[in-house]
Amino acid sequence: MTTLITQTIAKVVVPLCVFLSISLLLTGHDQPGGGFIGGVMFATAISLLYISFGLDDSKKFFNPDWSLYFGFGLLLATAAGIGSIIAGYNLLRTDYTYLQLPLFGEVELSSAIVFDIGVYLVVIGGLLFIFKKMGED
Amino acid sequence: MNILEHTIVFMIAIPFLVASLMILTRPFPEIQKKLNVLVSIVLLILSVYLFSQVWQNGIIAYDIGDWGKYGIVLVADLLSASMVLLSSIITFLALLFSLDYIDDKSQNTTYHSLYNLLIAGLNGTFLTGDLFNLFVFFEILLIASCGLLIANEKVEITPSSHKMEAVYKYLILNIIATLFMLVAIASLYGTLGTLNMADMALRIGYMNENGTLPWHLIPTALLFIVVFGNKAAIFPLHFWLPDAHPTAPSPISAILSGILIKVGAYGFIRFYYLIFEGNLEIFQPIIIFLGLATIIIGSISAVGQDDIKKVLAYHSIGQIGYVFIGIGMGTVYALAAALIYLINHAISKSMLFLVSGCIVHKIGTRDMRKIGGLSSTEPFLGLMFLVGIMSISGLPPTSGFIAKFVLFDAGISGGFYIPILIAVIFSLFTLFSMFKSWQRIFWGEIKDNIFEKENIHQNSKTMLSSLVIMTVIIFVIGLYAEPLIAITLETAEQILDPQLYIDAIIPGEVR
Repeated sequence: MTTLITQTIAKVVVPLCVFLSISLLLTGHDQPGGGFIGGVMFATAISLLYISFGLDDSKKFFNPDWSLYFGFGLLLATAAGIGSIIAGYNLLRTDYTYLQLPLFGEVELSSAIVFDIGVYLVVIGGLLFIFKKMGED
Repeated sequence: MNILEHTIVFMIAIPFLVASLMILTRPFPEIQKKLNVLVSIVLLILSVYLFSQVWQNGIIAYDIGDWGKYGIVLVADLLSASMVLLSSIITFLALLFSLDYIDDKSQNTTYHSLYNLLIAGLNGTFLTGDLFNLFVFFEILLIASCGLLIANEKVEITPSSHKMEAVYKYLILNIIATLFMLVAIASLYGTLGTLNMADMALRIGYMNENGTLPWHLIPTALLFIVVFGNKAAIFPLHFWLPDAHPTAPSPISAILSGILIKVGAYGFIRFYYLIFEGNLEIFQPIIIFLGLATIIIGSISAVGQDDIKKVLAYHSIGQIGYVFIGIGMGTVYALAAALIYLINHAISKSMLFLVSGCIVHKIGTRDMRKIGGLSSTEPFLGLMFLVGIMSISGLPPTSGFIAKFVLFDAGISGGFYIPILIAVIFSLFTLFSMFKSWQRIFWGEIKDNIFEKENIHQNSKTMLSSLVIMTVIIFVIGLYAEPLIAITLETAEQILDPQLYIDAIIPGEVR
């Protein structure tokens, strides 16, 4: 699969996919999208990178330990839940506020996003860890 | 703001948090071990606290995310709290055992994080008040236990290929069962419009009063019998168990056999006595029949095995049948007896699996034909195994005697003469198979070839201490059973009065 055509296309498509996955993640708590779908999309983008450049070649410039992403994601998601206990509410209670930013205008800032980021990291960590291990075998 | 109000959710959240920490601390195995033991002790203390709270103040309900009955509700009634307490005890002791028993390579990679996920899954299954959430926790349990099943022991006793085969069967059969569960939950949700178990019970109760209960809820109920029956390994659905339990490392077998198959019985109680309360009485003979068939199949199969852990695994199938006839009989006394039986089997069978783990650790084989005369070198293990088999086959003064006596007494006072007769006859098979394996392992002539292996491991003090704790529990229950009987009778009354559960979750004004 490491032809010039796939490599050229991958260079264009992978950043787009990553941006789309992040936008899915950020809108996820009250619109279609969410940590899981965004994470799956991110994982497909990276696996496209692995397939088009070959696992050994892509390891030279891009070689993260995906299992750590899994661990950090689970930690973040659980901590987001327990954080609301520390704030005096029940587990996973969420709250939101509106923020005025210069370029973007009014932005909704929700605490559910922390949990979603945790899920996002768990999904990309889990999927890409399996994908990479199976590729290495 | 009292942090102890959140005890019920800490039982699930702490293991998840620790599981993630375990992944991040993989380069430091000593920290992992100490942290895991510490967390198990904390969870044990919290579960005792939770039980005492439920015992004093009645049912505790907890809304996750403050969504009320529309979100996920955690409920601790006496049944859930006692099951959580039981699982905390067993998982703590099995963890103590596994520190020196599991191969270091397995422990350093995934063992401890999966162990915590398993604890989270168990506690979540027992505490959740939401049917779909129950499904999710079943999946967590399944995946975590699959990962633990293929962990390696220090003695290379089971080849990895056998483990993979057993895991494959376990995974596929349980995934089919959870698929059934998903279909059944979807059907219930489509009919009732809610996933909260208390709300479901309420709505089915209203439909029943008005005579508008749709006929397809009864086939749905049958699907649930298949699902929970598969989890509990009752008669036609028990095929995965005799492969999966013996190939797992011994502490994991202790958890699988001690707690994990009880999840099916727990789900069955919830579903039969809470959600479909009073609508499934036509199934009562079927449940008793399936329980008896399970006893017969399990007890007879256990007699002919040559593998120590296979004897115990087949025997677990038989024992879950006794729990199911207790549940099927449905009086307060019989239900209490089923719970006592369940608790006794959890402790005694876990202990037997741990003793067999000690034997395996020392000898390096599970095949009883190659073992003999062990009492001359390992008298302590012989004593522990004897206590375990006395308890499991119901001899006084152990907890097994109390369990069997109460169950048979409940059956006779309820008028179930023929099922009890069959159960008594087949408990003799238990006695026979257990004492036969004890005799084959510890008596007879010493086989020369068993001590010649190079990788003989000594049993460490932490391994033996968990056995001693279990022995103490067995004898305490056997000699002073009144508190346990009082607790289980109270629990059974609470189970048979689902209105208490419903009132605790859905206050009258929001119905």
